[in-house]
Parts: sequence; structure tokens; C-alpha cells
Amino acid sequence: MTRKRVGAGITRPLFCLSRSRAVQLIHDPVLLTVIFCVFALIGLLVVYPLVRVFTASLFQRGAFNPRYFLYFFEGRPYLLRPFLNSITVGVLVAVIGTVVGFLFAYAITRTNVPGKSIFRWIATFPIISPPFLLALSAILLLGENGIITKWLFSRFGIRWSIYGLPGLVLTETLAYFPLAFLTLEGVLSGIDPALEESAMDLGASKLRTFFRVTLPLATPGLAASFLLLFIRSLEDFGNPVVIQGRYPVLTVQAYLAITGMYNLPLGATLAILLLVPSVLAFMLLQFWVGRRSYITVTGRPSTAGLQTTEPYIKWPLFAGLVTLSGIILLFYGMVFYGAFTELWGVNHAFTLDNFRYVFSTGASYLVNTLKLAGIATPLGGILGTIIAYLVTRKDFPGRRALDFLAMLNFAVPGIIVGMGYVFAFNTPPIQLTGTAAIIILVFIFQRMPVTIRDGIAMLQQIDPVIDDAAADLGAGFFRAFRRVTLPLVAPALVAGMAYMFSACVTSISAVIMVVSAKWQLVTVALLHEVDNADLSQAAAYGVVIIVVVLGTIFLMDFLVRNLLGRWRHAR
Amino acid sequence: MPAELVLQRLTKIFRGRGKPVVAVDHVDLEVGKGELLTLLGPSGCGKTTTLRMVGGFEIPTEGEIYLGGQRITHLPPQRRPTATVFQSYGLFPHMTVFENVAFGLKVRHLPRAEIRRRVHEVLQLVGLEGLEDRPPGKLSGGQQQRVALARVLVIRPQVLLFDEPLSNLDAKLRVETREHIRRIQKELGITSLYVTHDQAEAMAISDRIVVMNRGQIQQVGTPQEIYLRPANAFVADFIGRASFLQGKVVAKIGEETEVELNNGVRLMIPYSFAFSPGEKVKVVVRPEGVDLVDPQEACDLVGTVVLAQLTGALAHYRIMLDSQETVEVEVLGALEKGLLAPGTQVGLRLHLKNLHLLPA
Amino acid sequence: MSRWFLALLLLALGISGLAATKVLHIYTALDVDEAKIYIEAFQQKYPDIKVEWVRLSAGELLARLRAEAANPQASLWLGGPSDTFIVAKMEGLLAPYKESLGWQYLPAKFKDPDGYWVGIYTGFIGFASNKDYLEQHGLEPPTSWYDLLRPEFCGKLSMAFPYTSGTGYTRLATLVFLMGEEKALEFEKKLSECIHHYTKAGSAPVTEVGLGEVAVGIAFSHDVIAKGVAKGYPVVLSFPKEGTGYEIGAMALIKGGPEPDLAKIFYDWMLSAEAQSLYKKWFRVPLNPEAEVAEGLITAEMVNLVEYDALWAAENRDRLCELWQRTTGY
Repeated sequence: MTRKRVGAGITRPLFCLSRSRAVQLIHDPVLLTVIFCVFALIGLLVVYPLVRVFTASLFQRGAFNPRYFLYFFEGRPYLLRPFLNSITVGVLVAVIGTVVGFLFAYAITRTNVPGKSIFRWIATFPIISPPFLLALSAILLLGENGIITKWLFSRFGIRWSIYGLPGLVLTETLAYFPLAFLTLEGVLSGIDPALEESAMDLGASKLRTFFRVTLPLATPGLAASFLLLFIRSLEDFGNPVVIQGRYPVLTVQAYLAITGMYNLPLGATLAILLLVPSVLAFMLLQFWVGRRSYITVTGRPSTAGLQTTEPYIKWPLFAGLVTLSGIILLFYGMVFYGAFTELWGVNHAFTLDNFRYVFSTGASYLVNTLKLAGIATPLGGILGTIIAYLVTRKDFPGRRALDFLAMLNFAVPGIIVGMGYVFAFNTPPIQLTGTAAIIILVFIFQRMPVTIRDGIAMLQQIDPVIDDAAADLGAGFFRAFRRVTLPLVAPALVAGMAYMFSACVTSISAVIMVVSAKWQLVTVALLHEVDNADLSQAAAYGVVIIVVVLGTIFLMDFLVRNLLGRWRHAR
Repeated sequence: MPAELVLQRLTKIFRGRGKPVVAVDHVDLEVGKGELLTLLGPSGCGKTTTLRMVGGFEIPTEGEIYLGGQRITHLPPQRRPTATVFQSYGLFPHMTVFENVAFGLKVRHLPRAEIRRRVHEVLQLVGLEGLEDRPPGKLSGGQQQRVALARVLVIRPQVLLFDEPLSNLDAKLRVETREHIRRIQKELGITSLYVTHDQAEAMAISDRIVVMNRGQIQQVGTPQEIYLRPANAFVADFIGRASFLQGKVVAKIGEETEVELNNGVRLMIPYSFAFSPGEKVKVVVRPEGVDLVDPQEACDLVGTVVLAQLTGALAHYRIMLDSQETVEVEVLGALEKGLLAPGTQVGLRLHLKNLHLLPA
Repeated sequence: MSRWFLALLLLALGISGLAATKVLHIYTALDVDEAKIYIEAFQQKYPDIKVEWVRLSAGELLARLRAEAANPQASLWLGGPSDTFIVAKMEGLLAPYKESLGWQYLPAKFKDPDGYWVGIYTGFIGFASNKDYLEQHGLEPPTSWYDLLRPEFCGKLSMAFPYTSGTGYTRLATLVFLMGEEKALEFEKKLSECIHHYTKAGSAPVTEVGLGEVAVGIAFSHDVIAKGVAKGYPVVLSFPKEGTGYEIGAMALIKGGPEPDLAKIFYDWMLSAEAQSLYKKWFRVPLNPEAEVAEGLITAEMVNLVEYDALWAAENRDRLCELWQRTTGY
């Protein structure tokens, strides 16, 4: 008999103040305090900065003056063009990325091509990649003077420019299709094979089964991945900064407006123009497609399902996998290669000078980044797990509001998060600009949605009756969380934190406005190298970041596998 | 028996996307100290929701709950003196048997030596000594069930709540374990509220049974009362099996009631019912309250066998009467007498004192 | 458990509050590689002073100072064109240091009369062209502003945004001084249709020309030599015959900075011949007459310079930048 589990099926409006739920809270002061603190944190560190960005765009010197919104609706190019461009790129990347991700996922889950684990690994690599690198490689290979460009021109007389729309679509598709792949891999392996088998049993051909059974069942996943990629593409900063050329996009223009012109209203307006489509897409994702289609990077879905062995399907897909993997390896390979060259693009003599540079000038940046990410990650992990716990296991007035707000930064482009923090915490009573704290807070609250999402997925795998039993036996909030919940989610939590750490280390758009003389970050240093077109040094930075991130992930994986002993066989 | 647990107008309404669902509808109940009261009913009748409200896992929409005189309606589970044995046990997978059982004691900050003593004591009580260091995953279903039981017994709660604790066990084990539970409960004298859909289980172990349907109480009484004198057709049919024959009351004579069935047969039932002469009634016939005889001999009704099944010690028959009504009959000793074939004409002799009347 | 959380948070906040002893915070608009040279030399000379510095392009730097006005995070501003310094002075973001000997000996046109900033180098706007591209197409390096609009170069230009880069703004102001405001904006509009892209940093065009991503870039001559030719890129330097603009690279104390005394030490040192001799490595033109110069250095006599009114340029910076943005749509 299934029982109705409050909080995971009963839907209530966003702010239902049921008297009885509120009354029970009063009798549980610990829980009440925790909920209150969480709300306060979210209110101060997620909502308030966003509000400040809004007010900056609508008010000038205290007077209501949405100047730049009016200019936007008038159609002034420096507002309208970036907006249209961002949306165009977003849609294209979403479509192409979803298709590519789907084909990749189909090949991995539904066929028996060789080398699956290698392909899978390569495909998920861009997720942990530092920013800018794909765009840099794109220029080296396909730029005006790029290796491939020159070869194509000399052979076939073809000329093109990778700058602008083509470059943006190429780099962002490569950067984000792994998200589509993971989503769709989960969705495809979640389809009950019995459905496809019975279709074919009843006489449907493979093709018909695919179009009438598999594809419709995968549709929520396709929609989810489309929206996900759209959101990610909108917030991309690293690639456009390098390769946007004459095709400005909102993230870069907002950044330039604030840091270059100190034109806060313009920057804030561009930010809001960026925020609106992103949040709309996010709301669609949340409410229409549902939480179940979220992917977790740490989840390992099974590859159960009908296997296609027809050569005419298998081998073209295999060729596609090889090509795509080849492109990714090529792009990142260029970065590795470039890091060891004297003067990337001109003098390819081998040298270790770039690394010497990174470890001397850049040493403090690297150390700072690791330090700050190292503090932010466990804090963000615990806070995210507590929020996930509150949202899935407890019921209280405003639960759904908390769920939405805590996840909001998933949809808020990083540049806006950073901007909001600068606006909000620049003056007393809370003045954090220039400190390490503001960077840590940006890390935590920008990346927390991922841990919350992972936390919810983990908790959904644990029988809720265990929490009931703990409370039943007398354990209050903290004891139950510490002794019962945490040990059971620990392995997945640790793995999730490895990804959060790498996400913090490779973060750029959120932190670029909150770094200071005392607290510099390695991605910002990378940006400076890119700005100055010191590509060999930029590449060296890129390589070092990649090595650090990969190292952390392998270390965490090792820890989870070998040292978490007894906690692991909890299932 | 003084009341230990009191439920007053307890109501739970679930509001979802569609119409609100009234899971528990103004239930009034009292459980005496040391009593084992069972909530019995089909799925969706509200018994589990009621139990969960007592445990603190659901919050009542209306009504109050009192335990030992104290109002506990809105207290969170950890602050209630109740302890629950869950249907799926809820054992902590990352702790050993010992740690599972000791959990409640650790929460109460008992000293280590005391904890060890009590845990061993209770493990002996449930018959699990020697298994302290096993993780729950390495125990059989029956053993897991006993760990769950030990875990709640060791903290000596005021009220024990059982949420269909035996439904995951196989039939034989279910019977053994329910005896076990009942024995311990009686020995320790702990007030218990028990939920099950298995009426045999309820009948076997309860002091009193509460039959529920659609969120409302249908009848409260001892197993015997409920079986012999069900309050309505639902209870009659839910507990045991029942056949219904239409008729009307003809006369009430002292402690007896005369009933005429629609086919004209008159029966004199040695029980005083609250019906008046002329009222239409349903006569409730229990399958074991009918003897099958040769139709030529003296009998109350005559009919034809339409179904005959042998289920071990009993033979189960369905007899169709002239009035097209059917009567379910269970007869012991089919092995010796042989199974009657469908189509056979039989005579039915009713045990009058076991007949019951319900409004038509 | 909650104690843990609190402790960690406090620790994090505490780390940020830790004030180090004898640390000098500098913001510089100079290239990272270049600033490193001077700062490391300074630290060698003054080993007990640790320097922490951030590189920002001139526009970003000004924006940062404005944002931090209530609570400045750095004490010294090193490098970048004087117009941004003039703007900063007007907004009250700088502190004067007339007492510096270095300031006192400089001729008037290279410093602020009230001592709020001092010139440390000068440089001229020039064109960087990719040698291979010129050869392939049989072209000569551009020698006129109008050459940039020619079809051979159109679509292959890169230069900095006027509002993020000192180089970029100096270019814009130079054109205004050359042609008048209206014509200059018209020219910039035509130019915007011929660019490959705009860059954030002023010297980025040089490397892009070196890589062959663009054919011609506009940057300061010292950047063209130091980041282009000297590094080994196939780059050639030329100047527009109509006249080109120049910058005075400046330095100033930031008002309200955390360590004004340490800043003054650096300030004095930077004006010395010893420090400015280091410019050799970067092909900058020092303002200290006793400093050693690089071989083959382009000096003011070799170039046709316009009359550059730095004060006017500074006062009209925001207005011009916004006009520029509206005109070009960038």
C-alpha cells in the first residue's frame, strides 16, 4: 500500500499557511530555528542581491527612471542587438546540443558500440573545464589565421570567420552538450525496456518503435535538456569574451558596462534582459518537466535497455561518437600543446616558461582559489544538504517558496550574481567587497543549487521511513540529520562536493566583479592573459586548472570508494 | 480500564490538485491502559492515517489527541511518548543491530553501561541474542521485524504503535510473530494501537477491534462481538464471510425474534433485536453456521450446489436457493463425507443462535 | 553541528580581516608582464615591503576606484593614460604628493599642477600590421587614418573600446582633436563597420596582429614593439601622417588608501632614473632624462603629434564615450 508522503506528492500553493502545520512547528523550536535561519540566509544572500540589480536598473540617483528599458523597447542597437544575439545563440545551442546529446546518449545506452566508457568520459569532460579554453582553441584552429582555416583555404579556397555566431554556437555546444547527454542518458536508461519490447512484439519495426515509443517517452528529457542548455548558453561568459567578435552578447556587454563604463543602470538593465528569459526557462523546467528529469553528475545510471546491434545504425553512430570525441580531444589537446610553446601561434618551440610564469606570478592566485573554494565547498555542501533535507522530508509553511528561491541561482547567470553582490555589499551595514568572505559567499550561493539538486536526488533514494523512525525514537533535527541522514548520503555528498569544488575553481562570470587586490582568483588571471592575447600563458593556466580539478575529482572518487567503509553499504 | 489514549473528533483532510480527500472523518476513540486496540479495515479506510496522527507523522486537520491526560495533538514525533513499529521497519542500514536498538537510549543520554544492559535484556526478550553486531541487511525478514520491535520496547514508551508490522512476512511467520508480539505486549502491559487489514490477525490478538471504512468507524467491540453481532453489512462482510437473506420481522416474543424470509420460511432467532414487527431485515448467515443435510430430512432451506471447493480441512460450498439468493457454507470433514458435486440438491439446517439481523 | 558551521564561517570571515604588516596594494593599468618587472625591482630594493597588485585596464580601474571610494582597497595607481587620472582627480579620488622630488623636477606639461598625479612615461598611438598579410597582398603598412577604411584592411582591424581602455580612449580623443567632434564620430562609425572586433585591453590588438587573426591593430607604439616585434611576432609599426595622439602615462596616490606611506616610497622610486631605466625592456619612453633608453626607441621627434588637450579629454570622457556607444552601437 502506498502511503501519501507529505512533501513529495501533495501539491500546495506557494505560500499556504496551514494553521496546523504552523502550530506543529511551534512545538519543534529547533526545526523552527533552522528553517528561519535558512530563510534568512537565502533572503539575504540570494534574493537581496537580485533585488539590488533590479533597483539599479530602475532607479537613478533615487528617482524612478527605467531609461535603458525604454531605450531597449525603442530598439537602440546597443541594447537590442545583444539581447537578440543572446537568445539566438541560446536557441541554436539548445537545439543542436540536445540533438547531439541525444544521439550520443542513444549510442551509449541503446547500442553495443565498443569503447563506451572512454566516450562517456570524454563527453563529460567539458563540464569541469575551465572557461575560455574552447574559444581559444577555436581561434587557433579555425580563426582567421587558424590551422584548419589556412588549410581549407589553400585546398578549397573556402573562407569563413569563426568569430561571432558560428564560434559561439560551436564552443557553447561543445561546452554544454554533456549536460544534454547526461540528462538523456538517464532518461533513456529509465525507459522500461518492456515498453519497446512489447511494441516490437506486436509487430512494429525498429524505426516505428523508435518514433512511436522511444522518442515520445524521451520527450520530457528532450525538453529538459533544451531548457537546460538554453539557460547555460545565456549565462556563458568565457567563450563570448574571446570569440564574440562583432556579435555582442548580453553577458559580456553587461560586464563591460559595469566595469568599463561604471554605468550601473545600463549594466543592470542588460543584466535584467538576460535574467528574464533565463528565469522563464527555469520555471518551465521546474514546473512543467518536473524535478525527476534533473540529472546529477554523480549519478550512475544503468545501461539496461534494448540493445541495437544493426550495423547500419550502430556504425554511423559510432562514427559520430568518434568524430565528436575527436573534436573535443583536438580542442583540449591544442590547449595542452599551446601551454608548452614559446609563443602560441608563431613560435612553437618547447618551453616550460609558461608554467614557471604560472607558478610564480600566478602562485598566489592558485593558492587563493584553492583556499577559498576549499572553504566554500564543505559549507555549501552541508547547507545544500540541509536545504534538500528540509525540502524533501519536512513540511512547513513556505516550503515550496524555499525550494524555488534556493534553486533560483541555478537560473541566474553568474554575472548577475556577482553584480548583485557588489551592489548589495559595497556599503555598510554589510560591507564585504574586497574580502575573502564575499568570494566564498558567491561561490556557495551560486553553486549551491547543484548540491541541493543532488541532495534531493540522494534523499529520494533513502526510504523516508528511516527519518520517521529516528524522530519516533526521540531524535531532534540535528541529531537525526547528523547520525542518520548524513551517514547515508555521505558517499554521494562527497562525490557531489568534488564537482562543486571544480565548479568553484572554474567559475568566472560570478566572481569577476568580486575579486580584489588581496584576493585574486586563477580564472580571472586566465582572463587577463586572454585579454592580452598572451595565449601560451593562458594555456598554461588552463592546463594547471584542469590538472587541479581532475586531481580533486579522482581523489574524492578514491575516498568514496575506499575509505568510507561502513557507510557505503547502506542501501 | 482507565483511558490512556483518547482521540477526539480526529479528522484529516488531504487537499491536493483535485477534490479534497477526507481520510479520517471525526473519529472518537479511547484506548485503555494496557489494552491492545486494533484498527481494522480495507486499504484507504483511514486506519494508517489515524495511527500516523497519533505518532505525530501527520497533523490533524481537526480534533485532539490526549495521552495520559496530556494534549499531544501538535507535538512533533520526537516529543511524544509513543514509539512505532513501521511496516518496512525503518532499521538504520548503516548501524548494527545493537546500535539500532541502542539509538533511542543514546538519544535519552543514558549511561553506556545502562544502555548495554537494557539492549541485551530486550534482545533476549525478542530472541535475538548473539546477533548484536550484524548489520540489518544481513538479517532475515523475521529477524528484522524483531529488531524493530526491540528498538521500540527498549525505550519503554507509554504507547506502542504498530503499522501493519507483519505484512512483509510469509504466512507461517506471520502467525508465529503475532503470537510473539501479543505475548510481549501482555507481559509488559504497554498500551498498544495496532493497524492491520488482516482480520484473522486482528481477531487473534486484539482486546478490542475498531472496524473502519472510508475514514469512519463502523463498529468498536471485542473480536467476538464484532464477529457475532456486526453492526452493519460492511462489518458483517468484512469480518469472516457472510451470506444475506432478505426477509422481515414478524414478531418479537420475549428474548426471541421471529423472522419470515422472502421465500416464506420462518425462523425463530433466540436474540432480542431492536427491530419492530413489519420491518424489513437482512438475515446474516455465517458459513460455519449451516449444516448440509439430505433434502428429504428436516431442514430450514433447500437449494442446489453451484460451487464446491476443498480447502484443506474445510469444504466450501455455494448453495443457490429458489429465491436466487446464494448461501456460502463451510463444512468440516469433507475428507470423510466426500465432496458434494455441483448440481446436487441439499437441505440447509441453520444454527439459529448464530443468525444475526441487519437493516435491509 | 551548528557550532561547526558557525566556526567555519567565522574563520572564513576572519581570514579576510587579517591585515598583513607592511603590504602595499597597487592597482596598475600596465600589462601584467610589464608591471611585474617594475614591482619586482622595487621589492628587491625594499625587501621588507610586500606588494600585492591587481592589473585592470584603465576604464576598469577608474570604475573600481569609483566603486571603492568609500573604502579604497589600494594605495597607489600605477600607469595608464593621464586622462583617466584627470577624471579621477576631478572626482576626488586621488591624494596629492607635491613633496616628491621626482614631481618637482618634471616639466609642467608632464604633471598635474596641484600634485595629484605625475607622468612617468609617454607613448604614441600607432598601427601594428601583420607582415605576412602585407606580403601576401603586396601592401604597404598603413600611413594614414583613412588607410584603415580601405577594402584591403576593412574587416580585418582590431582596436580597443574607448570606454574600457586608455589606449582606446586616447585614439578617440586624438581623432576629435584631429577632425573635430562631429567628423571624428562619423569616422568612428565608418571604422566600426570595418573592424573585426573591439578588444577590452589596449594592447591586445598587437598580439592579435601577431597571430594573424587581424591584419592591422591600433595600439601604443611601445606595446607594438614590446609585445609584437620584440617577442618575435611578424609585426611592423607605422604611424598616421595626419598626426597621432600620445599619452602621458601617470601615477598617483589613491585617496584614503590603506598604506599611504609605503605608496609614497614606491612613488619616489618610480620617478628615479634607476626605475625608469627598466623601461628599456618594454620600449617605453621615460620622462626622467637621466634614464637609459632602449636602442632604436621611437621618440617624440620622429612622429607627427597632434595637439592633445588632456584636460579637455578628461572632462569629456564620459560624454564622448556615451556618444561613441550610441553612434557605433557597441
